[in-house]
Amino acid sequence: MQLVVNIIVLAAIYALIACGYVLIYRVSRVLNLAHGELMMLGAYLLLTTGSLFTGHPVVAVAAALLLSILVGACVYVFLMRKMTGEMVLAAVLTTIALGILLRGVMVLIWSAQQQYPAQALGVTNPAIALWGGARISTWSALLIVVTAAVYGGLFVFLRFGRWGIRMRAAGQNPLLAAQRGVNLHGVYALAWSLSTFTGGLAGMLISLDSGLTGTMVIIGLKAFPAALVGGLDSLVGALVGSLIIATTEVLLIYYVNPLLADVVPFLVLIAMLMVRPWGLFGTPEELDRV
Amino acid sequence: MVYRVLIGALVYAAVALPAAAQDAYVVGLTAALTGPPSSTYAPAVEALRLYIDRVNASGGVNGKQIKLIIQDDSAQPSKAATNVKKLITQDNVVLLVNATLSTTYAPVIAEAKRAGVPLLFAGGVCPKEVYPPADPLLFCTTAFAATYDSRAALDFIKETAKGPVRLALVAMAIPLSRAEIDYAEQQAPKAGMTVVDKEVIPPPTPDYTPFATKIKEANANWTFSWAPWVTEVRTLEALRRLGWQGDYLTWAHIEAEGELKRLKDGKLYVIGSNALFQDKLPIHREISEAVAKAGSKYPVNQMAEGWIAGMVIEAALKAAGWPADAKKIRDALETVKLDTKGLRGGPIEWTKDNHFRIRQYYRVYRWDPAKSEIVQAKDWFAYDVK
Repeated sequence: MQLVVNIIVLAAIYALIACGYVLIYRVSRVLNLAHGELMMLGAYLLLTTGSLFTGHPVVAVAAALLLSILVGACVYVFLMRKMTGEMVLAAVLTTIALGILLRGVMVLIWSAQQQYPAQALGVTNPAIALWGGARISTWSALLIVVTAAVYGGLFVFLRFGRWGIRMRAAGQNPLLAAQRGVNLHGVYALAWSLSTFTGGLAGMLISLDSGLTGTMVIIGLKAFPAALVGGLDSLVGALVGSLIIATTEVLLIYYVNPLLADVVPFLVLIAMLMVRPWGLFGTPEELDRV
Repeated sequence: MVYRVLIGALVYAAVALPAAAQDAYVVGLTAALTGPPSSTYAPAVEALRLYIDRVNASGGVNGKQIKLIIQDDSAQPSKAATNVKKLITQDNVVLLVNATLSTTYAPVIAEAKRAGVPLLFAGGVCPKEVYPPADPLLFCTTAFAATYDSRAALDFIKETAKGPVRLALVAMAIPLSRAEIDYAEQQAPKAGMTVVDKEVIPPPTPDYTPFATKIKEANANWTFSWAPWVTEVRTLEALRRLGWQGDYLTWAHIEAEGELKRLKDGKLYVIGSNALFQDKLPIHREISEAVAKAGSKYPVNQMAEGWIAGMVIEAALKAAGWPADAKKIRDALETVKLDTKGLRGGPIEWTKDNHFRIRQYYRVYRWDPAKSEIVQAKDWFAYDVK
């Protein structure tokens, strides 16, 4: 039973991170390689708001999430907007530069040492006993719930929300969408905000569960194969991809060799790229434009 | 006319600036100040910088200031090599210091050897070349020591365990950590212990529970971990969340003291070579004052490693006299015998063949839930380094 719980927790982590990649790619065709750094920034923001609002964890989390949304909007307005009309590759390279910049800034502001946002918030992380003798930490359980809520919310928003429909339209045909009066800059800014929000949320929950160090950036990158395997422009794909990668990883740790857990997700990714380059649920013609 | 003045100024700068630099002991340092592993190295560098600032403020060494040039390598070998080249050729350093991941060692050692500049490892693991028979140019002050640490850990477990030991071992998937845990795996049966599980955990792991589950299911009653702190502590926390009640022994990295207080786990032991600040030695007060004065953002209990390196550098420069070149510094380092004032269990003493230390001392600490403070689980014990 513990095996199943471990797979679900890891899949939820990857899925929550991966949806940030998908949101931006789906709308603007840009691969955001600074997503890991933005995720880590969300966790550091929580550390700061936790210190500012001691004893009020809900306020601290809400403030950190609002700041994450603001950061996402600022990244678009002050940086990525300038890339509109340029080659997609230039935009991708810009996100790499942004990542390097953010890493340096975070060390300067919060130092390089291991931090514990849970301590700053004054909250603990007790284990919850499940059926079959399995156990799960409180924050991991919350992460699963939050991931489900985020995907459910995004589904409803993109399917029925006015701005959600605009986002889909901008993603499918930006020229036509603009001609029909869709504010493309507003849509792109919204996509960046939502992506940074979900990434920041993932960073916050991971850091509440197990602390915060510079290695979080690499965790952000580990979710990348999940997004690609599922299909970069599909949220359902991100969910399925996360489940595939997490299952592969945990089973390898259990039954083969833990060292393979680091390598095999990328082997799965390569295999997928060879067989079906657009991913399980991706759109073939969209990938030609990467 | 303006052209001539500019040429003259450039010629003056080219001649006068290096000369001005030579009026101080120039020490160059490459360190992982950014990047994933920087939490281990940045505090050590900060402490070293504070120590050197303090020496300079009190008049320097032999009447000369120490100019410490710090370069960030983000734990990347190529950056470290570039840093060292620059420090040697442009800054004319007489001593190099390395405080970064072991993956940078090969290029850094190669550059130092090519230039004949002594290289001190401070904060990063000691390479095998500093153990007898030592490489003439390489020295190390860092607390941890391959193979000796596992011997000490296994001896402590054997002494402390009340029944048969079913041991689990935890490493990070980096060469050094794996090699040490492989060594512990070989030695444990000789000490009468049964190794029931060994986990080699990749560095960017989002969830340690799958690894902890295996340890718990292997029914281990002791776990020994020798890895970067992040792996050591997150494995323990995952084990506790799964309800594992065994004893956990781990290497006391610079984060250990703060983490013992945070975790308040009576069955977590940390074994190390540095005295923790809760011992409240006079030298600890001295460091605390310096850190408070400088307004450092790193906790004072992470400063011992860098402070010791500073003490060694000061002692070596003093012995080398003035003027000093790289050869004089190297010769001085070879005769260092430093009283660590209680920061370690004994002196740091180097000889022609041993650039690690003649005796390696260990002490074990744990959290005492009854007293609600950190206590010594075992006082200093030592091994001869041969």
